[in-house]
Amino acid sequence: MFDLSSPIGLALIAAALPLAGAVLAAILGWSKLGRFAHLPAILSFASASVISLLVLAGVIEGDGALSMSADLGTWFSVGRLNVTFAFLLDPLSLVMLCTVTFIATFIAIFSAGYMRGDAGYARYFSIMSLFVFAMCLLVMSNNFFVLLAGWEGVGLCSYLLVGYYYAKPSAAAAARKAFLVTRLGDVGLVLGIFLLWQAGGYHTTFDSLFDHIAKYPPASGTITAICLLLFCGAVGKSAQLPLYVWLPDAMEGPTPVSALIHAATMVTAGVFLLARCAPLFVLSPEAGLIVSCIGGATALLAGFLALAQNDLKRVLAYSTVSQLGFMFLALGCSGVISPKVAVVAAMFHLFTHAFFKALLFLGSGSVMHAMGNVIDMRKFGGLRKLMPWTHATFLIGSAALAGVPLLSGFWSKDQILHGLLEAGESHAKYHTIYLGLFAVALATAGLTAFYTFRAYFLTFWGTERIPHEAHGHAHESPAVMVVPLVVLAVGALLVGLIVDPLTHGFGHFLERSPSIANAHAGYLAHSNMVEKPHAFSWLVAGLSSLLALGGIGAAFAIYRRGGPEIVPAKLKPIYALSQNKLYVDETYAAAFVKPAEWLASTGRQFDAFLDAIARLLSFAPRLIAGLLRPLHNGLVQFYALGTVLGLAVFLTVVVFRSAR
Amino acid sequence: MLNTEAIRILVLAVLFAPVALAALVGLAGRSGYRSARRLASLGALVHLGLTAALAVPAVYVLIDRSESEEAYGHRAANSFQPIFVPGDPSGELGSYETAWNLFPVAKAPADLPPPAIQFFLGIDGLNIWLVLLTSILTYVAVLVSHGSIRERAAGYYAWLFLLQAAILGAFLSFDIVLFYIFFELTLIPAFFLIGCWGTGGGRRDAARKFFLYTLLGSLFTLVGIFGIVLTNPTPVSQTNPDKTHYTVVLDAKGQPHYPKAGPVTFSIPKLMRNVAVWNHFHEIAIRGAELKKVAAAKGLEKARSGREPIAIPLAEDDVAKAEREWQTAKADREHYKSLQYWLFFALIAGFVVKVPLVPFHTWLPAAYSEAPPAVALLFSGVLAKLGTLGLVRIVLPLCPDMAVQQGLPVFGFLGALGIVYAAFCAFAQRDLKLFAAYSSVSHLGLLVLGTFTLTAEGLTGAALHMVNHGLTAGAMFALVGFLAERYRTTDMNQFGGLIGRFPIYAFWMFVICLASVGLPGLNNFIGEMLILSALFSPEATAPVGYGLGIAAASGIFLSAWYTMTMLRKVFFGPLLLPPTPTDVEPRDVRPHEWVAFGLPALLCLALGIFPQPVIQSMKSDVNIIVRQTDDARDRANDAKSAAK
Repeated sequence: MFDLSSPIGLALIAAALPLAGAVLAAILGWSKLGRFAHLPAILSFASASVISLLVLAGVIEGDGALSMSADLGTWFSVGRLNVTFAFLLDPLSLVMLCTVTFIATFIAIFSAGYMRGDAGYARYFSIMSLFVFAMCLLVMSNNFFVLLAGWEGVGLCSYLLVGYYYAKPSAAAAARKAFLVTRLGDVGLVLGIFLLWQAGGYHTTFDSLFDHIAKYPPASGTITAICLLLFCGAVGKSAQLPLYVWLPDAMEGPTPVSALIHAATMVTAGVFLLARCAPLFVLSPEAGLIVSCIGGATALLAGFLALAQNDLKRVLAYSTVSQLGFMFLALGCSGVISPKVAVVAAMFHLFTHAFFKALLFLGSGSVMHAMGNVIDMRKFGGLRKLMPWTHATFLIGSAALAGVPLLSGFWSKDQILHGLLEAGESHAKYHTIYLGLFAVALATAGLTAFYTFRAYFLTFWGTERIPHEAHGHAHESPAVMVVPLVVLAVGALLVGLIVDPLTHGFGHFLERSPSIANAHAGYLAHSNMVEKPHAFSWLVAGLSSLLALGGIGAAFAIYRRGGPEIVPAKLKPIYALSQNKLYVDETYAAAFVKPAEWLASTGRQFDAFLDAIARLLSFAPRLIAGLLRPLHNGLVQFYALGTVLGLAVFLTVVVFRSAR
Repeated sequence: MLNTEAIRILVLAVLFAPVALAALVGLAGRSGYRSARRLASLGALVHLGLTAALAVPAVYVLIDRSESEEAYGHRAANSFQPIFVPGDPSGELGSYETAWNLFPVAKAPADLPPPAIQFFLGIDGLNIWLVLLTSILTYVAVLVSHGSIRERAAGYYAWLFLLQAAILGAFLSFDIVLFYIFFELTLIPAFFLIGCWGTGGGRRDAARKFFLYTLLGSLFTLVGIFGIVLTNPTPVSQTNPDKTHYTVVLDAKGQPHYPKAGPVTFSIPKLMRNVAVWNHFHEIAIRGAELKKVAAAKGLEKARSGREPIAIPLAEDDVAKAEREWQTAKADREHYKSLQYWLFFALIAGFVVKVPLVPFHTWLPAAYSEAPPAVALLFSGVLAKLGTLGLVRIVLPLCPDMAVQQGLPVFGFLGALGIVYAAFCAFAQRDLKLFAAYSSVSHLGLLVLGTFTLTAEGLTGAALHMVNHGLTAGAMFALVGFLAERYRTTDMNQFGGLIGRFPIYAFWMFVICLASVGLPGLNNFIGEMLILSALFSPEATAPVGYGLGIAAASGIFLSAWYTMTMLRKVFFGPLLLPPTPTDVEPRDVRPHEWVAFGLPALLCLALGIFPQPVIQSMKSDVNIIVRQTDDARDRANDAKSAAK
């Protein structure tokens, strides 16, 4: 056993608190005290956040590997498959734990204002607490089965919260879609887990698995297959091509849910998974290349789709998909450049993205709250004066997302671009492709700045327009919603600068994670390269700042007068393509959904056919009986004749046989 | 500390109490459905208590047995070791046999196992959980019949208890004929329950079809059973036919002595041992003959190079004799093997129909959709387990060589096919009962697939999945019954937005649906993971590759696909009102339904988080089967390398 006051013990307490919160919120809802259901959620998140920050403060000093594991007993164990409730605390999981609980605290506070008076208030907070618990389980797991428990748990909570407004058909469809599309990726994940289990000497915990793989590396085909199958799970959960389609639809859920689940935490689980499995990915440059390519393609495509959306939340959703693509771009480099650079860059972007994207979503939630649940940017505009706090914080979030120099997003994006450039300049097999991906990333950075500020100008600039759904009560949100906005805005402004470029703390801390250290060792062993010190590159920083400011400038030039949007005739086809999401949903429906449904109904008919065959067989006795029945005609003479004839035949046969 | 004798009586009580209950309800409950159902639910609850009283010490002993085996590193036993056998002639722990002969077929000396059909009941790790499951689900079935069964309720409950008794009998049997008798006895109550209390117009047809179809399958099984019994008699000594002879004995000259066929036996543990012994002897005989051949050839060589020409013809004679002996031994083995081949298919026929395995499932849609929900609950929850238990209790131990040879390529493939095919069929259903039926078939495909991996992981997964599937599929039908009672229909298109109308019901339904799609933390996940791991073990990938594993993993998505589609249709969207207004306002979950839904749902949760005690209690018995199949696999590999 372990000591509850040890860092991992405290971290486990922090992880378990939201579960208690979920149960309490459910009980409150049950006992007609539902209006207090936010209290257990907020209190448990806040205390979990404080505890995990204390744990962080306790271990942040020092050098050398930092990893603590705890085993809470057997879950199931048969033959070669031994699965325990195994938990792991290392810098990777601790950073995730702190991020999740911290962001969740403020989103829960915001939700208390946003969801006030809703019929499902207790249900909302109960599921949200359950979500945070599952997310903590996911990040603290030390084997794939506990990870899978968290993984599916967050998927379930996402399903329940996207479908929160259950009476709305679009919400119901979106919830189902979100669950199914991610589940499709999970098939690959599960296959990958078992292939890894088989190739990794039937170990289950991460460290022993990776040690085994490092000692007895399997065939390169096997390791690539394992990596790609695991990546399938990440593609589903983190909404990458070709499975990103569920995320924009998931905006049907309440906006704070989008902020927490579909921007800051759950969708980054795929990034976390790949960071955790970095020791595998360094062994397969092919898998890394595919990860980067998919990330790059997703980043660019989603950036394009975000250009013409009218729904503010959808712009942000596509932007999330695009930013996640950025993280995968970085992760895919980890076999070519040191994982210490690549994985850290991805995790750093995950970390800063959590702040500014949560902020942007909450800001849009604040707008939505004021506008009577309208989120279509064509219906409102010029809210700068009406909602000063929301406006200011949204502007900070947009600038951070766009990568304005010195803000959080700038630093993390810079690290990713830098890593890509380094990969492109290396002498690895596929370095030209990485160079191409660097260009893609730059282009996406420009697009990001443009679409973000398009949304910002359309919402907050120009003449003030308020939809009639607001019933004239359009107002700045109450303090309970504004305070979280301000806190997150401060984070979006400063957190990037403080944790890495100034102190280099983030990178150094993460490097102490055994996953990353192992991956680094594997990288050095395989690529025989000398470690290059990671240096700030003025070229990359200059390029990305230029593109960010250029994108903002272009948006300012076009949209500074606010809506309604006027599209030049020449650009109309491209605009329509972006607005209609490249018809991907329709294509999928025609190529996969409809054929599957057709196959299902054909299956049903085939089943009826099988049944008909069985029925046909059951007619055989009746048929034979029908043939024989005329013989039993009741005439004694006929029977006598039959007896005599039979006897005659029998005797003849006997006589002839014996005569022969 | 445990009073073994009392527990043996408890085994009998658990089996016969439902018969007594049936008589009691049938006679005393005639005054009206209220008194019948009160009596029935009380009786089922008492019986559940009895079963629990049996299960607690049994599980305690079984876990202890597994743990001590593990601690001392014992090899698994070579045949099933049922505990608490009523009529056990020996003392405390028991001799794993009974003295209660029902029907002697021959006379035999006292030292030999009696050649008689015996009343041989017992408990082991494979059946104790199924017995408990049966009692739980019968209680649930009685509870969900509360509102829907009003006509001839006494008869209904009486047949329900008789069905339970027959199922329990089959689960508890360790005599192969007794097993078969109970197996077939289930047909009679099932026939009347569907035919008389069914809900649709085609109920009589459905009942007849079910009866004949499954009977046809099990007649093959009967042939298989007698074939196995006759070809695997007790081995007795050549010189002293009063003594059993299980191992090869070398005489003073170093010559091996083989046994000869003695009287037949019907006891499954004894048969299992005989099968192993005969398989072993056939191999040994060939090896022995080969050695002789080599020795004779050497003798001939020696004689030829020697100076006495007279020795040559003698040596040649020896060579010819050794050759003949070798040929006979080979022919014997081939003969035995080809017999086992056909017997395997005959034996398995009844079980795959009962499970049912695609494509032998066509009796199922009609039977499930016509049966009252409570009966469909018992069908999918426990009756299907007769088939799957039959596989692990009878087919695998008694035909291990054929199970290794044909298991995965034929029945594993059918299982994988069933997972995918039934999932597609489930998606296309518009009727909730048929939806639940096909979803159940899909899960059973996985169960069969896991069984035929013939590894500890796969068999444990399958054994666990029997209980898990029983709980989820059973609870699913119970939940469908709730809607059938209130809306008088099970057509999915008539429902919508039920979360708003029946929030508590929706909660339980979500729990069961999530268990059914294999969400971690709920029960099915454990079984699925174990079976998948077995499909990725070398024992499974060597003969069939990764295809079956991929098919099984696709079930993870497919089950979510049809389940979430159903949930969306029924529980989300705008509220739809019942098409035919019912006389009273439909109420959300009532107290007895709380128990009926909550009990299985909580067990799903418990089994999802703490499955290890269950796994531990099964371990020793799973290892017994694995030992048989491992030996068979070794024999097959030896034969393969010998052929090379």
